[in-house]
Amino acid sequence: MGRIILNAGIASFLFVFLFAVPVRAGEATEKIKQTTDKILSIISNPALKDPARAKEKKRLIREAVDERFDWEELSRRTLARHWLQRTPEEKKEFVVLFAQLLDRTYWSKVEDYSGEKVTYVGEQIDGDYGLVELKVLTSKNTEIPVFYKLKKKEGDWLVYDISVEGVSLVNNYRVQFNDIIGKSSYRDLVKKLKEKIEEKG
Amino acid sequence: MRKFDIELTVGLFIIAGIICLGYLSIKLGRMEILGNKGYEVYALFSNSGGLKAGSSVMIAGVDVGRVRSITLEDYQARVVVNLSEGIKIQEDAIASIKTKGLIGEKFIEISPGGSDKIIGPGSRIRETQPPVDIEQLISKFVFGKVE
Repeated sequence: MGRIILNAGIASFLFVFLFAVPVRAGEATEKIKQTTDKILSIISNPALKDPARAKEKKRLIREAVDERFDWEELSRRTLARHWLQRTPEEKKEFVVLFAQLLDRTYWSKVEDYSGEKVTYVGEQIDGDYGLVELKVLTSKNTEIPVFYKLKKKEGDWLVYDISVEGVSLVNNYRVQFNDIIGKSSYRDLVKKLKEKIEEKG
Repeated sequence: MRKFDIELTVGLFIIAGIICLGYLSIKLGRMEILGNKGYEVYALFSNSGGLKAGSSVMIAGVDVGRVRSITLEDYQARVVVNLSEGIKIQEDAIASIKTKGLIGEKFIEISPGGSDKIIGPGSRIRETQPPVDIEQLISKFVFGKVE
């Protein structure tokens, strides 16, 4: 059930929704909005609706997401103490794999987007850290609280975690990766990730 | 002289008994005799869900400290935790409130992070996860909102 919630939440995050109600948007919230507005415009662009251009559309959306997500930070936090033991090459490999995993896992949710409404509740800034709170209203009329955690890097706010219904994406993967590495090895985890990515095409 | 000996012996036994009782109480109550070993850090939770002062703090299921105090700060729960001396918590460690078993007592689980920065005494564990409210989740996804 947790995964369903996470999936719904993650799907929603990519789209700030045509009906988003802005609430005194702060710095970090602005950045989230920028990205989601960009993605929305790509989705609603009539020129890109042509199935022949599907790949291009996907690439554009992926680029917009890459602008806002700190994949390296996400990788570091999910691998946790195992990150420190990796060589620079292994780290690079992992960052790419992890981004691909999330992409494959949640892309179908992105395609399933059907106009869920999002309300920005507010944000808290604490030095270089920002927390943006929003609520997603699903078709079943349930409200899902979503938190974006951002860190300021070189003047830009980048996302390093998302929490849906109080469950953090980083924590979710951290526990799983830790388990796999504990039971077998890091190379095995990499193998599993590659398999999962292949599987989802 | 004899009476004095007997009384002395009895007295010594009583003192020994009290010391044993004291030792037993402390061990069973898991109190720290010196109370101030280790260092303190704190974390803010949106909901502390039944966590109490004295609750365990664990890493990988191993006791590494105790909850010192829980107070309300800005409508959030400020949980101050006392950690054993040698325990290092990375800057991106996540503190979650979990339940022992399904309906047992609450405790804090700290999951180590990958940052090379360590949280110093008096500092904050930034990443937190409140207890998951199963009832709320079930009701939301079975029944939806009534509005």
